Amino acid sequence: MKQFALAGNPNSGKTTLFNLLTGSTAYVGNWPGVTVDKKVGTYKKGAEPVQIVDLPGIYSLSPYTPEEIISRNFILEEKPACVINIVDATNLERNLYLTTQLIEIDVPMVIALNMMDEVEKSGDAVDAKMLEKKIGLPVVAISALKGTGIKELMDRAIAVSKQPREGATVLKESPVAHLVQDVAIALRAQGVEAPLFHAVKLSESDEIETKMHPELVRMVDEFKATFKDDVFGTDLEAVVADARYKYISANYSTAYQKKNGKGEKLTRSDRADKVLTHRVWGIPIFIVILFAIFHLTFAEDLFYISAMAGGLPTLEELGMDTENGAVTLLACFYDGAVFSPGVILTNLLNWVLEWINVLADMACANAAPWVGSFVVDGVLGGVFAVLGFIPQILTLFLFFSILEDSGYMARIAFILDRIFRRFGLSGRAFMPMVMGFGCSLPAMINTRTLADDKERTSTVRVIPFFSCGAKLPILTAVAGAIVASAGVGNADVITMCMYLLGICTAIVTVILMRSTTMRGEVPPFIMELPAYHAPRFSSLMIHLWDKTKHYVKKAFTIILASTIVIWFFSSFNWSWEFLINEDGDNLRMSESILGSLGMLIQPLFTPLGFGSQLGEFGWVFAVAAITGLVAKENVIATFGTLAAAIVGSVISTEDGVEEVVAMIEGTGIGVPALIAFIAFNMLTIPCFAACATARAELPKGKFRWTLLFWLATSYIVSMMIYLIGSWWWTAFIFAVLIAAAIAAIVLWNRKHPIAKAGAGSAGLEENALRAEAAAAKGVRK
Amino acid sequence: MTWYEILIIVAACLIVVGVIVSGIVRKKQGKSGCDCGCSSCSGCAGCSSRKPAAKKGEQTTQHTQQSP
Repeated sequence: MKQFALAGNPNSGKTTLFNLLTGSTAYVGNWPGVTVDKKVGTYKKGAEPVQIVDLPGIYSLSPYTPEEIISRNFILEEKPACVINIVDATNLERNLYLTTQLIEIDVPMVIALNMMDEVEKSGDAVDAKMLEKKIGLPVVAISALKGTGIKELMDRAIAVSKQPREGATVLKESPVAHLVQDVAIALRAQGVEAPLFHAVKLSESDEIETKMHPELVRMVDEFKATFKDDVFGTDLEAVVADARYKYISANYSTAYQKKNGKGEKLTRSDRADKVLTHRVWGIPIFIVILFAIFHLTFAEDLFYISAMAGGLPTLEELGMDTENGAVTLLACFYDGAVFSPGVILTNLLNWVLEWINVLADMACANAAPWVGSFVVDGVLGGVFAVLGFIPQILTLFLFFSILEDSGYMARIAFILDRIFRRFGLSGRAFMPMVMGFGCSLPAMINTRTLADDKERTSTVRVIPFFSCGAKLPILTAVAGAIVASAGVGNADVITMCMYLLGICTAIVTVILMRSTTMRGEVPPFIMELPAYHAPRFSSLMIHLWDKTKHYVKKAFTIILASTIVIWFFSSFNWSWEFLINEDGDNLRMSESILGSLGMLIQPLFTPLGFGSQLGEFGWVFAVAAITGLVAKENVIATFGTLAAAIVGSVISTEDGVEEVVAMIEGTGIGVPALIAFIAFNMLTIPCFAACATARAELPKGKFRWTLLFWLATSYIVSMMIYLIGSWWWTAFIFAVLIAAAIAAIVLWNRKHPIAKAGAGSAGLEENALRAEAAAAKGVRK
Repeated sequence: MTWYEILIIVAACLIVVGVIVSGIVRKKQGKSGCDCGCSSCSGCAGCSSRKPAAKKGEQTTQHTQQSP
């Protein structure tokens, strides 16, 4: 089967086109760098099936980051039958820079002028025919979003793939033309494929090429000795880049016709950016948006109407029968306050789950006592406690997806770059961190877009601090239980504060790492800000459906198996005596295998507030924290399975919050210890799957230290929360310790100054300079 | 012990063993155990190969060195 590669700049619409051609639902994000590895699919609508390979977006074929290496190596070594170069028509000049490099490779090629709908919407025009004539390759105007021009593009791609093509260069008039020609002749004599491309790269002193052809480096050095450019000196890479841009500007740019010949004017995106990326207001606006999202997802008093009105009557106070089915349904929407959409959906799901639980309880009424305990308290208690949070998780993800698809997330990376830079990270590191809110695995993989190894290691280590969807049930259930049992604060505020705690911990630990073991210069950050657009409904629904599908699947596989194991070990003691009595209650759970193991590890958590001080059932918190290592949802599933045994009767509801309330009543745990419990689970070693990914993504030898780092950070932060929350004056002790640590780091840094940028950093600088040159041509920085 | 009690025990054992075995099989196949969903994931392709791209790049470069 023929193989066609999709190559182009980041965020030019490659994955959208890939989805359209192959019928896939690959992840599409409105920010550059979404795709970090190649994806393969099949196009079946043509005369013959064609394999389509979606490559990560690249600005040039001089690779600096791993995903750029993937794209370059694929085109050069896999030799696709055709390269479809996706060009963002709204940013023609910058996108054609990569085109001028691709045409140097001996591979059939078609140019897809994407986003033509945007060009037309703005009243501008791009003359595809004129461009085709000047470049000498087929140029097809398309809109991957609207699906226009796709048939013609594929027909022409299939047609050109039938004939071999020899590379051509736009550097014929450049100062390095003779050098390129001489090196190309030498390479051709050696039988090297795509000699022109390799010759240009060798002339630029490309690191990979100089290693591959050391015998030709002398030729380049001799040329350099006799060459000096007025602006760029002997930097041939800059000379070549300049020559390419000059050629594009002189020959291709005329194909783009501005509306009525008008000059640059502010677009809607530009005007929005004046406010949203404002130097002063940018961050406060971001915090307000974040608060609004959390409020709409978790608040049990929408817009604080009840609080402002001095309290609204509950359904019971209104004289309604709260046992009545219709009233219980009404209570999902209102009960003393109007609930937020996230809470309403959660209540509705729990209402359904409660009915299932009642039916299961009735079905087990005549069965052996252990059956009821196993099915109702154990399995359903554990699984439903986790499933009950699906609506809130989906609501939160819906809002995050809207922010991402609209293009706002990329702005946040830009806004935060100023802050991150002070702490030793570039704003680019923010995107993988944000992905960590969804799941740590893709987030860790996405760190491949970071060029600096030390920055990458630091980012991988702090990604689990950004609470993923699996940790959300812990936050929501415990926060809800704090409000319900202690009457402290609002669930949405507590949840948001815990998210912010994760972000703050990430920042503080990054500062520590970048000041000690991970010291290095902050890589330059250039990012293309995509235009704002309304999120696509279908794209949002695909994200949500996928999330739901996998969450439910996980609940009925790993979580279900875990609840069975937990129930089993909490129902037998070491003499294999069954502990469930004739009423189906497990009143001797502390004697169980799980209980005795829990009590063994319980003292470890005493400084965190959920250890030995909690009495008979305190070990449940220790066990829950350990089961969370398999999957974070297990923490609440463990509570769900064991809560009934602790309160000595069947729990009347399947709401995870109620089960944590039961745990609080059964153990007498205080608010500081509960907050410390959330913090520990949020910051400690992530699930097994995330650990495996971190191990694969981190440089050799770093993983063990990373495990220790997660454990130490979670332990220290939780201990501080518990101690300061319980005895406020301990804050002064911690303040002195932190001041001493800062002083020690400052003194150590003075004694061991950072070595000046080496070859790798120099490469980064050059990359940045080139990107800045690109920025000047149309990328907004 | 009644038939449904035996059925519940067998079903519970099958679920636990099934989850463990499928986890081992997935690991051997190099697949991830995440709940992210591949279609919502930017790194799904890298996930199954389990090798960091930088290493792949190095390997490919070495291969290219021999080609001329």
